[in-house]
Amino acid sequence: MFNRAFWHFLTLQLFKERQRHIATLLLSTLLVFLLSSILFISASLRHTLTQTLKAQPDFVISRTQGGSPTATPLAWADELAEIYGISKITPRVYGRYFFKEKRESFLIMGVDFLEEQTHQGLEQLLNESDLKDLLSGKKMLIGEGVKRFLSANFYDNEYKFLTPKGKFVTVTIAQTLPAKSNLLSNDMIIMPLALAQEILGYDQEEVSDITFNVPNPDEWQNISDKIASLHYDLRITNKREVAKSYEHLYNFKGGLFLVLFIILLATFLLILYQRYSMVYSSEKRQIGLLRAMGWSITEVLQLKFAETLLITLLAFLLGVVMGYLYVFILDAPLLSAIFLGAENLERHLTFTPVVELSTLSTIFLIYALPSITAVIIPVWRVAITDAKEAML
Amino acid sequence: MFDTLFPLNVLVYLLSESILGLLLLIAFGVVTKILLQWDFESFTPEQFKREQYAYLINTITLFIFVMKFLLLLYFAYTIDALSILVPGAMCAAGVITANGYGEPLLALKLTILFLLILWFYLNHYDLLSKNHQWFQEKSLLFMVIFLFVVLEMWLDFTYFTHIDTNQAVSCCSALFGQLEGANPLPFGLDTTTLLILFYLLFGLSILTLLLEKPLLYIPSNLLFVYLAYYSMVYFFGTYIYQLPTHKCPFCMLQSEYYYIGYLLWFSLFIGSFMGINRAIIILWLDPSHSLPSRNWVMGLLSFFVGVASLYPLIYYWRNGVWL
Amino acid sequence: MIRIQHLNKSYTQGESQSTILKDINLTIAKGETIILKGVSGSGKTTLLSLIAGLEKPTSGSLLIDQEPIHKLPDLFASKLRADKIGMIFQHFNLMEHLSVAENVMIPLIPRRWHLKKINQQVTQALQKANISHKANTLASRLSGGEKQRTAIARALVSAPEIILCDEPTANLDKENSLRLIAMLKTLHQEGKTIVIATHDPLFEQLSFPHRIIPIENGEIVDV
Repeated sequence: MFNRAFWHFLTLQLFKERQRHIATLLLSTLLVFLLSSILFISASLRHTLTQTLKAQPDFVISRTQGGSPTATPLAWADELAEIYGISKITPRVYGRYFFKEKRESFLIMGVDFLEEQTHQGLEQLLNESDLKDLLSGKKMLIGEGVKRFLSANFYDNEYKFLTPKGKFVTVTIAQTLPAKSNLLSNDMIIMPLALAQEILGYDQEEVSDITFNVPNPDEWQNISDKIASLHYDLRITNKREVAKSYEHLYNFKGGLFLVLFIILLATFLLILYQRYSMVYSSEKRQIGLLRAMGWSITEVLQLKFAETLLITLLAFLLGVVMGYLYVFILDAPLLSAIFLGAENLERHLTFTPVVELSTLSTIFLIYALPSITAVIIPVWRVAITDAKEAML
Repeated sequence: MFDTLFPLNVLVYLLSESILGLLLLIAFGVVTKILLQWDFESFTPEQFKREQYAYLINTITLFIFVMKFLLLLYFAYTIDALSILVPGAMCAAGVITANGYGEPLLALKLTILFLLILWFYLNHYDLLSKNHQWFQEKSLLFMVIFLFVVLEMWLDFTYFTHIDTNQAVSCCSALFGQLEGANPLPFGLDTTTLLILFYLLFGLSILTLLLEKPLLYIPSNLLFVYLAYYSMVYFFGTYIYQLPTHKCPFCMLQSEYYYIGYLLWFSLFIGSFMGINRAIIILWLDPSHSLPSRNWVMGLLSFFVGVASLYPLIYYWRNGVWL
Repeated sequence: MIRIQHLNKSYTQGESQSTILKDINLTIAKGETIILKGVSGSGKTTLLSLIAGLEKPTSGSLLIDQEPIHKLPDLFASKLRADKIGMIFQHFNLMEHLSVAENVMIPLIPRRWHLKKINQQVTQALQKANISHKANTLASRLSGGEKQRTAIARALVSAPEIILCDEPTANLDKENSLRLIAMLKTLHQEGKTIVIATHDPLFEQLSFPHRIIPIENGEIVDV
């Protein structure tokens, strides 16, 4: 039956009752908008984090004391070198440096500029920097957030770090890291290994942790066990476990959000059910008339459901497009603050546009399936209106 | 039990299944009521009301059929995405076998879809008959479907709540590989014989379809599906993955293989379902009305065989050797 | 063509039962024009809606061209109605927000016809009912006579064999009523079966062959 005449007729019907339909449309669109915004943000963050994680080294070992991480002996790197199947062993020095006046802190990363980095992101960063300049004297690379903070406190070219030993070390700003690596370097300061050790209070033979890669995925369990047995105070973690823990975090947040959303959805469905159950006598007469004109119940049902589905689909499309614009063009003001939580620095985050079929189908299932379910019975009840209503 | 902590997709899936289950429950109540008192010959307003209620059932069942189908796809995708959380799983194969409920669940889902297609045709014939000829059969089939769906829901929840994220599972190479040297193929066949039978049964199915021999068609199609499954896993799949040791029915659903798995399994199953339903209708129902399209059945099955065969052929054409 | 045997219709409202039609027996031949004459409440409108299959009788049988319209499942009853019956109502029953042409199109929409064919059929019907000049006018802007002509066009658009009219002149002035009767005469001459339920005295002096069936209190009164 779905010929042009049908759609023409349907459009005219919808237009006639537009006041009733517009209210439903607006409400539905709002719901989808909210839903898709949250899911888009979530998918985008997840994607970014996965990408970031990909660039991370496979394994990290560190020393623990009383269960907490403590300075790791550099000698352990040599022990690692003896194990077959390990590559790119990189000792790392990093830590938080606190600016007591402002109670802000930044991440200091000590790096051996001459070595290849296990962290691909870092490697890329360094390739774009002027190494010669960095190695001459006490220089550092700082992130955008750091730059802003230092400038606000009138430190334009250099800063005097206070070491735990009570000494002051002046370090010059060599370069500000580009904004595109925001997630990575926003509140980070990159400096030579030895310098970092000094500022963070490590001995020359101490580092924060040691990273390495294991190219063969089947060997991960093997090597992990081997290394863990080297020292009683050695802790080893790998990339997959980190990914898993992120997943769990997302699932938790996701579950929480879903519970809240379901309450909202339930209210919406109730409203929908009520609205479609309200059958005006004019509508009854119209359906009666259609039946008198030879329309079968099936055909009336098709008409009524086409009406509903059209609105559902329209709301879905509008809501998703609005959500896309809001998250990926406007960077989701308000919502992003809720998502990212309290950070110690103002983080201007751009969401990478990530639109997956999975996200869209999830939105569709959460919204469209309950909506259509809610209106099936009311719409049927209208469609079976006795044809004799037309005679009245 | 709650180690999985239910990723969003799983929650959405379970929620959707629950809503459909609720809807079906309402429909079941209605069907029971109208079936018990159904008397087409009587004139009472109650009977006319029953006929109107029948339309509600039709609408609900149609909606559920469409949604069940979409949810199956969503389920496949969700399972695949879960492979991150389940240690040792590289794709859906490992996740499905994470506990004993996964495979029965999948089989049940396919069965339900098959029955829904049958119901759809029964309903079509019922409406086209002047006295609601198939109403009883249609309603009984509906009740059977309802029971299966209840079972499916129970399996859904049980399956997802029993995935232990601390317990390693076997990935497809262990599940489908020949680790212990035992031959995983049915009837002790080797690959070549398997393939010969595969193509033969395809030909036989098409032949019995064209010659209108439904009694022969049903077993040949069933056997074809059975062998097709093995052929896909142990032969065609390896050409899709371009790795002779990669034997898996699920990995081909992933994006790196352009989701070809969905197309292949869809065409195989829907084609077979339609074909078998067609045969059932010819044998036991009144075939005076339009049957499931023979062309569609042939088209889908041929598409499946054609596309599956393309992979090894293209590989050979490109590399000059078989795997 | 239309055979009614022992038709009964009663409504049950809780405890009380009201009988609208009692043991109606009537045969209408093809091409006949029947006037169901009676006052309001006599049951003639109900009889008409039973013939159209819009209501189901409590007992008895109603055959249209041998088809038991009272017993057919909805799909068949609707098809019968769509193919063979055209209806004209007392209050016109047009969709006010649609144009004349769109109103006339309504019975044809469920058919899987090309839009071109539908438009052709609509144009023909508009011409017959003499309302082509108002094809694109909104129904709400028509006069009473024009509305009725639109209703006639709508009733004719599917080329039915049977035309049922329920008090067609109740809302028309004398001039338009006469015009309507003239149109009915044309339809009669084309061989259509016409059944009119009315108490308008104008219908007692039709210039073409017709049969008057008086109805009183739900029963046919023998003349």
